[in-house]
Amino acid sequence: MPNLLVCYKWTLDEQDIKINPADLSLDSSRAKGKISDFDRMALEEAAQIVEKQGGAVDALSYGTPAVKQSLKDVLSRGPNKVYYIADASAEIADGAVTAKVLAAAARKLGGYDLILVGEGSSDAFNQQTGPRLAALLGLPCVSFVAKMTLEGNTLTATRKLADCTEQVTVTTPAVVQVLSEINKPRIPSMKQVLGASKKPSGEIKLADLGLSPQELAPKAVRKSVKGFVMSRKNVIYKESNAEANVQKLVASLAAEGLR
Amino acid sequence: MAGVFVFSEDLALARQLLTPALELKASLGEPLVALTTSEAGAKELAALGADRAIWLKTEAAPEQLALALADLLGKEQASVVLVGGTLRGKHVASQVAARLDAAMATDAKTLKIADGKLEITRVLYAGLAVAEEVLVLPAVATVPARTFLPPSAVAQAGAVETVELAGDARVTITAVTATGNEGVDISAASMLVSIGRGFRKQDDVKLAADLAGAIKAELACTRGIAEDEHWLPIERYIGISGQTVKPELYLAVGLSGQVQHMVGCRESKLIVAVNNDERAPIFEAADYGIVGDLYQVLPLLTAALKN
Amino acid sequence: MSDDKFDVIVVGGGPAGCACAYTLAKQGKSVLLLERGNSAGSKNVSGGRLYTYALELVEPGMYQRAPLQRKIVREQIMMLGEGSAMTLDYVDYGFGEEVPQSYSVVRASLDEWFAAEVEAQGAMVGAGILVDGLVEKGGKIVGIRAGEEEMYADVVVAADGVNSLLGQKAGLFPDVKQHAVGIGVKETIELPDEVISQRFALKAGEGAARVALGCTEGISGGAFLYTNQGSISLGIVFNPEQAAKHGRQIQDIFQDFKTHPAILALIEGGTSVEYGAHLVPEMGFHGIPQRLHREGMLVVGDAAQFGINTGLIIRGMDLAIVSGLAAARAILASSSPAEAGPLYMRQLEELLLLPNMKVYANFHNIFAMPRVFQQYPQLANQALQFLFRVDGKVPEPMAKGLLRILKSNVSFGQLAADGWKAYRSL
Ligand SMILES: Cc1cc2nc3c(=O)[nH]c(=O)nc-3n(C[C@H](O)[C@H](O)[C@H](O)COP(=O)(O)OP(=O)(O)OC[C@H]3O[C@@H](n4cnc5c(N)ncnc54)[C@H](O)[C@@H]3O)c2cc1C
Ligand SMILES: Cc1cc2nc3c(=O)[nH]c(=O)nc-3n(C[C@H](O)[C@H](O)[C@H](O)COP(=O)(O)OP(=O)(O)OC[C@H]3O[C@@H](n4cnc5c(N)ncnc54)[C@H](O)[C@@H]3O)c2cc1C
Ligand SMILES: Nc1ncnc2c1ncn2[C@@H]1O[C@H](COP(=O)(O)O)[C@@H](O)[C@H]1O
Repeated sequence: MPNLLVCYKWTLDEQDIKINPADLSLDSSRAKGKISDFDRMALEEAAQIVEKQGGAVDALSYGTPAVKQSLKDVLSRGPNKVYYIADASAEIADGAVTAKVLAAAARKLGGYDLILVGEGSSDAFNQQTGPRLAALLGLPCVSFVAKMTLEGNTLTATRKLADCTEQVTVTTPAVVQVLSEINKPRIPSMKQVLGASKKPSGEIKLADLGLSPQELAPKAVRKSVKGFVMSRKNVIYKESNAEANVQKLVASLAAEGLR
Repeated sequence: MAGVFVFSEDLALARQLLTPALELKASLGEPLVALTTSEAGAKELAALGADRAIWLKTEAAPEQLALALADLLGKEQASVVLVGGTLRGKHVASQVAARLDAAMATDAKTLKIADGKLEITRVLYAGLAVAEEVLVLPAVATVPARTFLPPSAVAQAGAVETVELAGDARVTITAVTATGNEGVDISAASMLVSIGRGFRKQDDVKLAADLAGAIKAELACTRGIAEDEHWLPIERYIGISGQTVKPELYLAVGLSGQVQHMVGCRESKLIVAVNNDERAPIFEAADYGIVGDLYQVLPLLTAALKN
Repeated sequence: MSDDKFDVIVVGGGPAGCACAYTLAKQGKSVLLLERGNSAGSKNVSGGRLYTYALELVEPGMYQRAPLQRKIVREQIMMLGEGSAMTLDYVDYGFGEEVPQSYSVVRASLDEWFAAEVEAQGAMVGAGILVDGLVEKGGKIVGIRAGEEEMYADVVVAADGVNSLLGQKAGLFPDVKQHAVGIGVKETIELPDEVISQRFALKAGEGAARVALGCTEGISGGAFLYTNQGSISLGIVFNPEQAAKHGRQIQDIFQDFKTHPAILALIEGGTSVEYGAHLVPEMGFHGIPQRLHREGMLVVGDAAQFGINTGLIIRGMDLAIVSGLAAARAILASSSPAEAGPLYMRQLEELLLLPNMKVYANFHNIFAMPRVFQQYPQLANQALQFLFRVDGKVPEPMAKGLLRILKSNVSFGQLAADGWKAYRSL
């Protein structure tokens, strides 16, 4: 029976991030954490696999100490156990560091048939971690998977690319990067939510992963982050009379030289 | 270290990559090397300013080349590797970066060299913010399609070489099916009528199609319309995970204007919104808008624009 | 204890549910608190004013841990006219001493904090769970249902807010009637803290609470405004029936209120960060359902329609907390679920909740007088305008002018009737 590992990221909910109009800085003081959107599909896919054929799912996340807030939530979505590396370094970790930390942790935990990651994290959307992780672990990588089945140690997957779909097979162990369309994650039921508080979690200390300071130094460093603001005319016609609105709009389009 | 390298399995995109690569080459004073998977492609890239163009002779799919390509780039001591930002390209780039233990930026919009490092800009939080990132060399960056125009031909074409690469066969491709791409390139349309979940059923899409017909626009949509409802083909959806467009007119109907969508159309010249919820974020992103029921507004608008 | 049986299940993570669950868990009961929002507070509309005594009843000193905003020392009443306003400003630094009388609060953070306190006492807190039914056995309530799943308890406490589904499912009361509830719209506007202090003449940490009349176009209702840390909460509470007859959208009336020059000056330059609508119990004492318990179930807080609205003070959260505490005490004191109900009613008396509500029992009659919301505020403004106006012309004699203004707004008969009605209601 398969042993699965799902990597998930605990990110800020971008809907609550505000742009400070004065200097375009981001104000995330009101933003709560969430499981990165597409990682829910990775978690769901793993849950469905073990529901069908048995086995076990672990979850793994590398984040700042805030990652601890995610444990209950993630456990309510299926995994038997969650491992986390809570370290301030995650704040500035780039794709290189993240993949090294996850690879070292996955190696330490050992024995997984499949490692699942999401299509891309909802904050950085690097879309790097999965393929990088596979390269570091020396495992084959199946990216952009829209559908998959696991039979014994053969994984059959449908990859969805820009102009075609590909059927591929691979012998496990392997890393799979799932597309968001692969499933519709369930909303955890009451018993799943309550059961989550009884499931185990394990902290992995960054120091125990045997990574050198050089390996933990990000190679891509953020120099600045600025909110994107659109300056648009914002002329909105909102009379109750639809015809009048349409007329005004058509006149505006004409004035813009579009008619 | 030496060399600015570009790679894309998509020739059109490979051509576009040459434009930023030529600038990086000038800053770094290193040769520009183009890698591609067809012989004709290699010749063409050599004619467009690559000092060397390498035809990667192989039967394998691009993803299967990732590790061998990394080894080649390692041997060449590449300083910067620009990869065409297709899905395949992102897979390749990530694995190359991992193998070379290199910095990587996905979907770089601008690129330059400063203080011996690669500086790029890219969006964060699905478009809410733009970040400047500094990458130590060697660095890998993917560049989305249509970010740059291809350069014009040079007088002296570069040399064309051939390298045979063996693909990694651990992932076996058993079948490839072309998706029902209707061949429209909505990124080329000068006007788009884009629809969202405000449309209640598939039949209603006709309202938008009529409007599009009246102003000779193409239809576009939000992700849900394409991915969940399948009312329009996926190459017509706009956004962070879909297409990026910059038409003269983007007429957004019954779509809320979430950032993940808007990032794909916010460079449009004019944005016009029709939505029945005055508080919908689309109105903040619009030049003109009508607050109203699309079922009432669209027929009127179609009729008014027809003549 | 088995996995799906608790001593008490509390449904609703608002102040009522949290106060109840906290008290029970602290005394060692096994408690399950269920909240439909993804976290407690996430479904709650912005801010308000909390009278501190309620938290002190739950546990002395508790308020010091709570995420409170500003202690209220300025109480203000505003009568809006068209383009004019009369404000009565009462400042009382005594309100801020020792245990300050009241604080402005932001519900999202208050509820989240309170739920965390509940969890720290050993209760199990399940967020993101919508309770949609009760489990009954032999005429007793023995548990709750969420989707396909059931959980059991000796007592279920319904703390599920004004539109209490559980109270209806238990047959304790029919659906909330339209006239019994007001509808409130609320918005939070962010502004730098110093700007707020300046605009309201406050020192750091001090706050103002303001009620406003004359902004509802004659619909029974009024507006309120609280200063928080770095934000202002403001909103209007309406009678929904009258609003529906009136024809204008509530949002539009709210918009007009916000752009009234006297209000705009207070919120100008701020950014709206939150907006929402919610119901409020409006009938006061007479709105409380006949029965607030069944064997195995108690109803607390807004679900029990506990609320006091005098036009000058809005009280709901404190009553919610007190009633949650009353329910907890009743459960702790009872030896069987059947005893809890009567004990709960007794606790509501002992903790002075019902006596408090009785005092204001007839207040809603005042709100039935339409002139309170239009003519009287207008009258006040016109009278002041008359008194303050100097334009070089010969003014009308004072008494005559004032009488004219009075008559243009109300007849003597109306005035006498309203006065009598108001007197009776007090
Ligand atoms: C990581 C990530 C990536 C994503 N990538 C993309 C992407 O690439 N592209 C994309 O589009 N989305 C993307 N999304 C989804 C995106 O966040 C939004 O959910 C989506 O764009 C909303 O689609 P919509 O506007 O069609 O639907 P809704 O948000 O449901 O909006 C429907 C709108 O229609 C209006 N409406 C309803 N009825 C009527 C009527 N009768 N008349 C007029 N108006 C009406 C409503 O007021 C509403 O504003 C992504 C999400 C995530 C998390
Ligand atoms: C506009 C407005 C202004 C107000 N201003 C003030 C003020 O200044 N001061 C004051 O003291 N009071 C004020 N109130 C009243 C106050 O908000 C309420 O009296 C108080 O919130 C009641 O607390 P409660 O715990 O009973 O209910 P609520 O706070 O409504 O909490 C109920 C909780 O139960 C949850 N819930 C509901 N149904 C279910 C279910 N089926 N399953 C799971 N969970 C469920 C809800 O999500 C919610 O979190 C105001 C109210 C409004 C609308
Ligand atoms: N810090 C992290 N911890 C665990 N998993 C991660 C982390 N960052 C990224 N991932 C996984 O890698 C996927 C792609 O992330 P990214 O490369 O950042 O776009 C995510 O969907 C996650 O599954």
